Amino acid sequence: MVQMKKKKALTASVAVLLAASLAACSGGNNNASPSAAPSGSASSGASASASGSSAPQRDAYKIDVFSMLSNFSGEQQGWFAKVVKDKFNLDLNIISSNLEGGGDVKFSAMMSAGNLGDLVVFGDDGQKYQDAIKAGMLLDWTQDGLLDKYGQNLTKYAPKAIEKNKVNFGGGSKVYGIGFEVGEGEGPSEGKDMTYNPNLRFDLYQKAGSPKITKMEDYLPVLKKMQELEPKSDSGKPTYAFSMWQDWDGNMMMNTKAWAGLNGFDEGDGFNPGGFTLISADKNEVQGVLDENGFYMRGLKLYFDANQMGLVDPDSMTQKFDDVVNKMTDGQLLFTWFPWLNTYNTPERLAEGKGFALVPFEEERTFSYGYNPYGGNRIWAIGAKAKHPERVLEFIDWLYSPEGTMVANYGPEGMAWKLEGGKPVLTDFGKQALPSNPTAVPDEFGGGTWKDGQNQINNSTLKLTSINPETGEPYDYTLWTSTLAQAPNKLEESWRAAMGGATSAKEYLLKNDMIAVNKQIFTGTAPEVISDELSQKQGQVAQVIKQYSWKMVFAKNEAEFDKLKKEMISKAKGLGYDDVYNWNKSQNEKVFEYRAK
Amino acid sequence: MNSAAGTSPHPQTVAQPVSRKRGITERYRLFLYALPFLVLVFVFSYMPLYGWIYSLYNYRPGFKLSDTPFVGLQWFRSIFANPTQTQEVLRVMKNTVAMSALGILTSVLPVAFAILLSEIRSMRFKKTVQILTTLPNFISWVLVYAIAFMMFNVDNGLINKLMIELGLQDRGFNYLANDSHTWLAMILWATWKGLGWGAIMYIAAITGIDQEQYDAAKVDGAGRFRQMWNITVPGIMPTYFVLLLLSIANFINNGMEQYFVFQNPINKDHIEVLDLYVYNTGMLGTNFSFATAVSMLKSIISIGLLFFANRLSKWVRGESII
Repeated sequence: MVQMKKKKALTASVAVLLAASLAACSGGNNNASPSAAPSGSASSGASASASGSSAPQRDAYKIDVFSMLSNFSGEQQGWFAKVVKDKFNLDLNIISSNLEGGGDVKFSAMMSAGNLGDLVVFGDDGQKYQDAIKAGMLLDWTQDGLLDKYGQNLTKYAPKAIEKNKVNFGGGSKVYGIGFEVGEGEGPSEGKDMTYNPNLRFDLYQKAGSPKITKMEDYLPVLKKMQELEPKSDSGKPTYAFSMWQDWDGNMMMNTKAWAGLNGFDEGDGFNPGGFTLISADKNEVQGVLDENGFYMRGLKLYFDANQMGLVDPDSMTQKFDDVVNKMTDGQLLFTWFPWLNTYNTPERLAEGKGFALVPFEEERTFSYGYNPYGGNRIWAIGAKAKHPERVLEFIDWLYSPEGTMVANYGPEGMAWKLEGGKPVLTDFGKQALPSNPTAVPDEFGGGTWKDGQNQINNSTLKLTSINPETGEPYDYTLWTSTLAQAPNKLEESWRAAMGGATSAKEYLLKNDMIAVNKQIFTGTAPEVISDELSQKQGQVAQVIKQYSWKMVFAKNEAEFDKLKKEMISKAKGLGYDDVYNWNKSQNEKVFEYRAK
Repeated sequence: MNSAAGTSPHPQTVAQPVSRKRGITERYRLFLYALPFLVLVFVFSYMPLYGWIYSLYNYRPGFKLSDTPFVGLQWFRSIFANPTQTQEVLRVMKNTVAMSALGILTSVLPVAFAILLSEIRSMRFKKTVQILTTLPNFISWVLVYAIAFMMFNVDNGLINKLMIELGLQDRGFNYLANDSHTWLAMILWATWKGLGWGAIMYIAAITGIDQEQYDAAKVDGAGRFRQMWNITVPGIMPTYFVLLLLSIANFINNGMEQYFVFQNPINKDHIEVLDLYVYNTGMLGTNFSFATAVSMLKSIISIGLLFFANRLSKWVRGESII
């Protein structure tokens, strides 16, 4: 009997062991299978119970914010965290695909795991967004009347954007997400500064004698002179004209693409996700990335020449966006394509007359995205497995309200801004801290610094230049009557004098017809999804273009540059560049037809 | 799994030799001893083979495999149908083979290191050296890269600062973004990291050599180098060959962590080994099916190597391994 028992125990234990190890393996498979149905029922149950308990004191709820745009990974800190905590009792745990593997690594991993988090931010409405919908990873906002109950601001302030998502992606009835920068208006949609703007250290530019700049290549000799005038930053490190970063590269090198943006071309046409074409904002023109005389290749040559002159930061290839921001703050940079990268202009420096300002080239035609009532292609969505989807929706809804837009960008009333007679006015703290200075935040507002406490999700909601119905002024603080009435600082004074009295970059560019406004279209269909075969080719060609672009910038001499260029073109074409390019072009041409309507 | 193993009655069975008479026969007992390991091998070496099926579909993460279209051998054909693609794969294979071969060539370094170390008389010094050289093995490659970055980065790097101070360089130079001698640089890093660890086995083997041999040699008038060459080296050769054979079997598995952290656009042409290429196309290029097809090359080459090693063994020793 004892023997029998022993034997049994032994076989049983072995069986358990086997089963356990097998289960450990198949467990992953179970998770991987998309389970739209059960999650749907689970969330409806949750919402039913939560709607009863939507009293002011709610349970703390930590949500995973998967942002494909964020440059910050971890829990939201500082004043914005406090605002969200106080108002919604939410904690935002930000997952940034830029920082976690780069590219689509994190997205693929989360898709395979069957859970994209609670709040999802997509960089575009192309394949990833559409795959996520198809695989049942995103919540339908119309389910259980969620949108009607918790989305009052969305339906009030972004009705066309909701409609677009219904028609384009939800088969006419479902809503899976909403686009960013919703706003109505005419002309360029930017504030005082454009998205793309060649900004130079204006004080040094003037010291160098304000030479005339006709074409984009003319910046190089000027920048060289500026570098000689100021070879060291505030902390004694060498200065560079171009300090670049790799982590935002998608189909091509982003910093090179910026030159296309300064010439009125961009990778997207406002509707289709990007590929290997550069599309004019307002003319029906398309350039291939590898076109010999295209802006991308011209940009590469420009950087190569700049590197030969010692103007390119040798760290460019090995650093991240955050490193560049730190260099900018320290004063190591002399040039930027993007005014929003400017963290150098602190009040102290501006008062000394030091700082970045627009120095255009005569041929410039800056790309402007234009107002888009349908919302842009960066998407806010809710994960299908969110425990309390109604609370996530409530949060998004608030971000799309005038109050939410003001608070998410400029903090709670009374900190950086206040209302005087119904009009917004910057406080002393606001003047010090904005746009993103490391100014200490009072403890009552959450402590830390202004910069670290800013909203790190990195997607916007309502267009900041559109009018806030509650104040009658734009949301953008640089456009408030009170801000415009402020006495110009020393830098602004000298800039305005030099630019013939223009008060802002946008004003100058508009006056001189240097802006190309992208016309927004409404198609009633989703952008066509690329075939798997072409998508494979695109992935491989993109790797080649990115790799060779960086190599070309840092080539030792002209001969090596030309050799690499030839190699890049033949390799890219060999891997199917032309097929992808032709497909992109045919999609862009469809958009041109809509533009004509 | 742990709890299941913990409650298994093996220890008791071993503690009571009587049990042999009481039931489970010798051969079943041995089989049961081996079973957990067989299960492990099955789970980690054979079950993953099921993943090969992904190469026959257009897989996209998030979908069930059965919901994605079946494409047959399309991805395999695409490796060879396109000359540029074929060249890419050949380039990657060349890197893989080169780095593995260099790895095998440098496998004598731990042997030499162990021998020299064992000749040191001061115990304290010997232990210190051994600890310091073994420690890097426990640092992850990500941290190794962090160290490399601190040493070699342009603005604050130790090496750049030193070179500029000494007047050997007039401005910062990005050593990490540099494609000259990539293979060599990678081997050096790997050697720095693995030297002390690799020597442990040999040190153990040296301790096992009969001391009388040395005494006899001394009596015969052999110097220290003679002793090393004629006693120590032959004494650890069997260990060396076993490890060498194992490393040949692992020829194609040169891993990817090291190359992953050190890669950048400049050195990518020479640093991309098979595993890294599969990662770059599969995860970054989001083409899992194609990457699976490429990774299967690895198995084909490994089988080829196995037969080669077997043939070699037959020829050298007169007996085959399999």
